[in-house]
Amino acid sequence: MSESELTMATGHEVLMEASPYAIEKKKLGMWIFIVSDACTFATFLFGYGYMRVGSHNWGRPFEFSSILNGIVMTFVLLSSSLTMLAAVRATQTGQKASASKWLGLTMLLGTVFAILHLREWLKMIGEGWRLFYNPMGGAAQFGATFFSVTGLHLTHVVSGVIALGFIARGYNQGRYNASHVETAGLYWHFVDLVWMFVFPLMYLMNAR
Amino acid sequence: MSSNQEPGMASYAGIVIGLMIIVVIEVILTYQHLPVRTLLFSLLCLSCVEAFVGIMYLMHVKYESPLLFWTVFPATIFVLVLLNYVWPDAYRMARMSLGK
Repeated sequence: MSESELTMATGHEVLMEASPYAIEKKKLGMWIFIVSDACTFATFLFGYGYMRVGSHNWGRPFEFSSILNGIVMTFVLLSSSLTMLAAVRATQTGQKASASKWLGLTMLLGTVFAILHLREWLKMIGEGWRLFYNPMGGAAQFGATFFSVTGLHLTHVVSGVIALGFIARGYNQGRYNASHVETAGLYWHFVDLVWMFVFPLMYLMNAR
Repeated sequence: MSSNQEPGMASYAGIVIGLMIIVVIEVILTYQHLPVRTLLFSLLCLSCVEAFVGIMYLMHVKYESPLLFWTVFPATIFVLVLLNYVWPDAYRMARMSLGK
Protein backbone atom coordinates (compact mmCIF):
# COMPACT_ATOMS: atom_id res chain seq x y z
CA MET A 1 0.00 0.00 0.00
CA SER A 2 1.44 3.36 -1.00
CA GLU A 3 1.74 6.21 1.44
CA SER A 4 -0.81 8.20 -0.51
CA GLU A 5 -3.37 5.56 0.45
CA LEU A 6 -2.74 6.15 4.11
CA THR A 7 -4.04 9.01 6.20
CA MET A 8 -2.55 10.13 9.49
CA ALA A 9 -5.00 10.53 12.39
CA THR A 10 -4.42 13.95 13.91
CA GLY A 11 -2.60 13.92 17.22
CA HIS A 12 -2.64 10.16 17.74
CA GLU A 13 0.08 9.10 15.32
CA VAL A 14 -2.01 6.18 14.10
CA LEU A 15 -1.95 5.22 10.46
CA MET A 16 -5.42 4.55 9.06
CA GLU A 17 -6.46 3.34 5.65
CA ALA A 18 -8.70 5.62 3.61
CA SER A 19 -12.32 4.41 3.36
CA PRO A 20 -12.74 2.19 0.28
CA TYR A 21 -16.24 3.63 -0.09
CA ALA A 22 -14.94 7.22 -0.28
CA ILE A 23 -17.57 8.37 2.23
CA GLU A 24 -17.37 9.54 5.80
CA LYS A 25 -17.57 7.03 8.63
CA LYS A 26 -20.88 8.40 9.91
CA LYS A 27 -22.48 7.95 6.49
CA LEU A 28 -21.16 4.41 6.24
CA GLY A 29 -22.48 3.76 9.75
CA MET A 30 -25.88 5.12 8.71
CA TRP A 31 -25.89 2.83 5.65
CA ILE A 32 -25.14 -0.18 7.85
CA PHE A 33 -28.00 0.87 10.16
CA ILE A 34 -30.32 1.34 7.18
CA VAL A 35 -29.54 -2.16 5.86
CA SER A 36 -30.23 -3.72 9.26
CA ASP A 37 -33.40 -1.66 9.69
CA ALA A 38 -34.57 -2.60 6.19
CA CYS A 39 -34.21 -6.25 7.21
CA THR A 40 -36.24 -5.54 10.37
CA PHE A 41 -39.07 -3.96 8.37
CA ALA A 42 -38.87 -6.77 5.81
CA THR A 43 -39.24 -9.33 8.60
CA PHE A 44 -42.33 -7.52 9.91
CA LEU A 45 -43.84 -7.34 6.42
CA PHE A 46 -43.06 -11.00 5.71
CA GLY A 47 -44.67 -11.83 9.07
CA TYR A 48 -47.76 -9.92 7.95
CA GLY A 49 -47.74 -11.81 4.64
CA TYR A 50 -47.39 -15.11 6.49
CA MET A 51 -50.38 -14.33 8.71
CA ARG A 52 -52.45 -13.15 5.79
CA VAL A 53 -51.74 -16.12 3.53
CA GLY A 54 -52.31 -18.51 6.43
CA SER A 55 -55.76 -17.05 7.29
CA HIS A 56 -58.73 -17.87 5.09
CA ASN A 57 -60.93 -15.06 6.53
CA TRP A 58 -58.57 -12.07 6.49
CA GLY A 59 -61.11 -9.39 5.51
CA ARG A 60 -60.62 -5.96 3.96
CA PRO A 61 -61.33 -3.31 6.59
CA PHE A 62 -60.29 -0.05 4.87
CA GLU A 63 -62.92 2.16 3.30
CA PHE A 64 -61.95 4.81 0.75
CA SER A 65 -61.73 7.49 3.48
CA SER A 66 -58.87 5.54 5.09
CA ILE A 67 -57.17 5.07 1.72
CA LEU A 68 -57.54 8.82 1.06
CA ASN A 69 -55.97 9.51 4.44
CA GLY A 70 -53.14 7.16 3.46
CA ILE A 71 -52.64 8.98 0.14
CA VAL A 72 -52.39 12.32 1.95
CA MET A 73 -49.92 10.78 4.44
CA THR A 74 -47.83 9.44 1.54
CA PHE A 75 -47.77 12.81 -0.23
CA VAL A 76 -46.82 14.57 3.02
CA LEU A 77 -43.94 12.15 3.59
CA LEU A 78 -42.73 12.45 -0.03
CA SER A 79 -42.87 16.25 0.25
CA SER A 80 -40.79 16.03 3.42
CA SER A 81 -38.10 14.19 1.44
CA LEU A 82 -37.98 17.11 -0.96
CA THR A 83 -37.68 19.65 1.88
CA MET A 84 -34.93 17.46 3.41
CA LEU A 85 -33.04 17.55 0.11
CA ALA A 86 -33.42 21.35 0.10
CA ALA A 87 -32.05 21.47 3.66
CA VAL A 88 -29.03 19.35 2.70
CA ARG A 89 -28.40 21.53 -0.34
CA ALA A 90 -28.64 24.69 1.82
CA THR A 91 -26.14 23.31 4.34
CA GLN A 92 -23.72 22.36 1.55
CA THR A 93 -23.78 25.94 0.28
CA GLY A 94 -23.50 27.38 3.80
CA GLN A 95 -26.95 29.01 3.87
CA LYS A 96 -27.71 28.62 7.58
CA ALA A 97 -31.02 30.47 7.64
CA SER A 98 -32.32 28.57 4.62
CA ALA A 99 -31.15 25.24 6.07
CA SER A 100 -32.97 25.96 9.33
CA LYS A 101 -36.12 26.83 7.42
CA TRP A 102 -36.06 23.62 5.35
CA LEU A 103 -35.20 21.43 8.34
CA GLY A 104 -38.07 23.04 10.28
CA LEU A 105 -40.43 22.38 7.37
CA THR A 106 -39.27 18.75 7.19
CA MET A 107 -39.97 18.34 10.91
CA LEU A 108 -43.38 19.97 10.47
CA LEU A 109 -44.31 17.59 7.63
CA GLY A 110 -43.09 14.64 9.71
CA THR A 111 -45.29 15.82 12.56
CA VAL A 112 -48.29 16.19 10.23
CA PHE A 113 -47.69 12.62 9.02
CA ALA A 114 -47.59 11.37 12.62
CA ILE A 115 -50.82 13.24 13.49
CA LEU A 116 -52.63 11.83 10.44
CA HIS A 117 -51.36 8.39 11.36
CA LEU A 118 -52.50 8.66 14.96
CA ARG A 119 -55.89 9.95 13.78
CA GLU A 120 -56.26 6.79 11.66
CA TRP A 121 -55.25 4.64 14.60
CA LEU A 122 -57.72 6.35 16.95
CA LYS A 123 -60.49 5.90 14.38
CA MET A 124 -59.72 2.16 14.16
CA ILE A 125 -59.49 1.80 17.94
CA GLY A 126 -62.84 3.59 18.18
CA GLU A 127 -64.29 1.01 15.78
CA GLY A 128 -63.12 -1.74 18.13
CA TRP A 129 -59.85 -2.80 16.50
CA ARG A 130 -57.33 -4.16 18.99
CA LEU A 131 -54.02 -6.00 18.75
CA PHE A 132 -55.80 -9.34 19.05
CA TYR A 133 -59.41 -8.49 18.23
CA ASN A 134 -61.07 -7.98 14.86
CA PRO A 135 -64.50 -6.26 15.20
CA MET A 136 -65.40 -7.42 11.67
CA GLY A 137 -65.21 -11.03 12.79
CA GLY A 138 -62.32 -11.96 10.49
CA ALA A 139 -58.78 -12.98 11.34
CA ALA A 140 -57.75 -11.52 14.70
CA GLN A 141 -54.15 -11.23 13.53
CA PHE A 142 -54.96 -8.21 11.36
CA GLY A 143 -54.79 -5.83 14.33
CA ALA A 144 -51.51 -7.32 15.54
CA THR A 145 -49.81 -7.06 12.16
CA PHE A 146 -51.28 -3.66 11.22
CA PHE A 147 -50.48 -1.93 14.51
CA SER A 148 -47.02 -3.58 14.67
CA VAL A 149 -45.90 -2.63 11.17
CA THR A 150 -47.38 0.88 11.13
CA GLY A 151 -46.36 1.41 14.77
CA LEU A 152 -42.76 0.52 13.96
CA HIS A 153 -42.84 2.97 11.07
CA LEU A 154 -44.51 5.68 13.15
CA THR A 155 -41.80 5.22 15.79
CA HIS A 156 -39.20 5.80 13.08
CA VAL A 157 -40.95 8.97 11.90
CA VAL A 158 -41.25 10.40 15.43
CA SER A 159 -37.62 9.46 16.18
CA GLY A 160 -36.61 11.12 12.92
CA VAL A 161 -38.43 14.35 13.80
CA ILE A 162 -36.71 14.43 17.21
CA ALA A 163 -33.31 13.62 15.66
CA LEU A 164 -33.78 16.34 13.05
CA GLY A 165 -34.54 18.78 15.88
CA PHE A 166 -31.23 17.95 17.56
CA ILE A 167 -29.35 18.12 14.25
CA ALA A 168 -30.93 21.48 13.35
CA ARG A 169 -30.10 22.91 16.78
CA GLY A 170 -26.52 21.61 16.60
CA TYR A 171 -26.09 22.93 13.08
CA ASN A 172 -27.29 26.39 14.11
CA GLN A 173 -24.91 26.35 17.09
CA GLY A 174 -22.00 25.29 14.87
CA ARG A 175 -21.55 21.89 16.54
CA TYR A 176 -22.72 19.97 13.45
CA ASN A 177 -21.86 20.52 9.80
CA ALA A 178 -23.40 19.76 6.42
CA SER A 179 -22.38 16.09 6.51
CA HIS A 180 -24.32 15.58 9.75
CA VAL A 181 -27.42 16.98 8.08
CA GLU A 182 -26.81 14.82 5.01
CA THR A 183 -26.46 11.70 7.19
CA ALA A 184 -29.73 12.54 8.98
CA GLY A 185 -31.26 13.03 5.54
CA LEU A 186 -30.29 9.47 4.57
CA TYR A 187 -32.31 8.18 7.53
CA TRP A 188 -35.27 10.41 6.64
CA HIS A 189 -35.35 9.23 3.02
CA PHE A 190 -35.13 5.62 4.21
CA VAL A 191 -38.18 6.10 6.45
CA ASP A 192 -39.96 7.61 3.45
CA LEU A 193 -39.06 4.67 1.20
CA VAL A 194 -40.19 2.10 3.78
CA TRP A 195 -43.63 3.75 3.67
CA MET A 196 -43.68 3.08 -0.09
CA PHE A 197 -43.98 -0.61 0.86
CA VAL A 198 -46.10 -0.21 4.01
CA PHE A 199 -48.84 1.83 2.29
CA PRO A 200 -49.58 -0.58 -0.59
CA LEU A 201 -49.19 -3.73 1.50
CA MET A 202 -51.00 -2.65 4.67
CA TYR A 203 -53.58 -0.23 3.24
CA LEU A 204 -54.17 -0.87 -0.47
CA MET A 205 -54.14 -4.67 -0.16
CA ASN A 206 -56.76 -4.32 2.59
CA ALA A 207 -59.03 -1.82 0.78
CA ARG A 208 -62.70 -2.71 0.40
CA MET B 1 -20.02 12.61 -2.75
CA SER B 2 -19.34 14.57 -5.88
CA SER B 3 -21.88 17.32 -5.51
CA ASN B 4 -21.15 18.76 -8.97
CA GLN B 5 -22.83 15.69 -10.53
CA GLU B 6 -25.98 15.97 -8.46
CA PRO B 7 -29.22 17.15 -10.06
CA GLY B 8 -30.70 20.50 -9.09
CA MET B 9 -33.74 21.01 -6.87
CA ALA B 10 -36.00 21.16 -9.95
CA SER B 11 -34.91 17.64 -10.90
CA TYR B 12 -35.48 16.44 -7.34
CA ALA B 13 -38.97 17.97 -7.41
CA GLY B 14 -39.60 16.08 -10.67
CA ILE B 15 -38.47 12.83 -9.06
CA VAL B 16 -40.76 13.34 -6.04
CA ILE B 17 -43.72 14.21 -8.30
CA GLY B 18 -42.95 11.04 -10.29
CA LEU B 19 -43.09 9.03 -7.06
CA MET B 20 -46.44 10.64 -6.20
CA ILE B 21 -47.77 9.68 -9.64
CA ILE B 22 -46.73 6.06 -9.00
CA VAL B 23 -48.70 6.18 -5.70
CA VAL B 24 -51.77 7.39 -7.60
CA ILE B 25 -51.33 4.54 -10.12
CA GLU B 26 -51.17 2.08 -7.20
CA VAL B 27 -54.46 3.43 -5.83
CA ILE B 28 -56.12 3.23 -9.26
CA LEU B 29 -54.94 -0.38 -9.65
CA THR B 30 -56.37 -1.19 -6.21
CA TYR B 31 -59.88 -0.26 -7.35
CA GLN B 32 -59.70 -2.21 -10.64
CA HIS B 33 -60.81 -5.37 -8.76
CA LEU B 34 -57.83 -7.35 -9.99
CA PRO B 35 -57.17 -10.86 -8.64
CA VAL B 36 -55.28 -10.62 -5.33
CA ARG B 37 -52.06 -12.13 -6.71
CA THR B 38 -52.06 -9.81 -9.75
CA LEU B 39 -52.68 -6.77 -7.54
CA LEU B 40 -49.97 -7.82 -5.08
CA PHE B 41 -47.46 -8.40 -7.89
CA SER B 42 -48.32 -5.03 -9.51
CA LEU B 43 -48.08 -3.11 -6.23
CA LEU B 44 -44.79 -4.76 -5.27
CA CYS B 45 -43.27 -4.03 -8.70
CA LEU B 46 -44.30 -0.35 -8.44
CA SER B 47 -43.01 -0.16 -4.85
CA CYS B 48 -39.67 -1.61 -5.95
CA VAL B 49 -39.46 1.01 -8.72
CA GLU B 50 -40.16 3.73 -6.12
CA ALA B 51 -37.54 2.29 -3.76
CA PHE B 52 -34.95 2.02 -6.53
CA VAL B 53 -35.51 5.62 -7.68
CA GLY B 54 -35.48 6.84 -4.08
CA ILE B 55 -32.29 4.99 -3.18
CA MET B 56 -30.43 6.02 -6.34
CA TYR B 57 -31.49 9.69 -6.43
CA LEU B 58 -32.92 10.85 -3.07
CA MET B 59 -30.33 8.86 -1.10
CA HIS B 60 -27.62 9.77 -3.64
CA VAL B 61 -26.31 6.24 -4.20
CA LYS B 62 -25.99 7.04 -7.92
CA TYR B 63 -23.42 9.69 -7.01
CA GLU B 64 -21.45 7.58 -4.50
CA SER B 65 -18.69 5.05 -5.14
CA PRO B 66 -20.10 1.99 -6.99
CA LEU B 67 -18.44 -0.12 -4.29
CA LEU B 68 -21.06 1.11 -1.80
CA PHE B 69 -23.86 -0.10 -4.07
CA TRP B 70 -22.26 -3.47 -4.73
CA THR B 71 -21.48 -4.02 -1.05
CA VAL B 72 -24.88 -3.10 0.35
CA PHE B 73 -27.56 -4.09 -2.12
CA PRO B 74 -26.79 -7.64 -3.33
CA ALA B 75 -26.40 -8.76 0.31
CA THR B 76 -29.65 -7.04 1.35
CA ILE B 77 -31.56 -8.48 -1.59
CA PHE B 78 -30.11 -11.92 -0.79
CA VAL B 79 -31.49 -11.64 2.77
CA LEU B 80 -34.90 -10.55 1.44
CA VAL B 81 -34.97 -13.52 -0.95
CA LEU B 82 -34.11 -15.88 1.90
CA LEU B 83 -37.09 -14.56 3.89
CA ASN B 84 -39.34 -16.20 1.30
CA TYR B 85 -38.82 -19.50 3.08
CA VAL B 86 -42.00 -18.71 5.08
CA TRP B 87 -44.48 -19.20 2.22
CA PRO B 88 -44.72 -23.03 2.12
CA ASP B 89 -45.61 -23.00 5.82
CA ALA B 90 -48.09 -20.14 5.33
CA TYR B 91 -49.91 -22.16 2.64
CA ARG B 92 -49.82 -25.22 4.94
CA MET B 93 -51.55 -23.10 7.62
CA ALA B 94 -54.12 -21.92 5.09
CA ARG B 95 -54.92 -25.53 4.10
CA MET B 96 -55.16 -26.52 7.76
CA SER B 97 -57.54 -23.64 8.56
CA LEU B 98 -59.80 -24.82 5.74
CA GLY B 99 -59.68 -28.38 7.15
CA LYS B 100 -57.92 -29.87 4.06
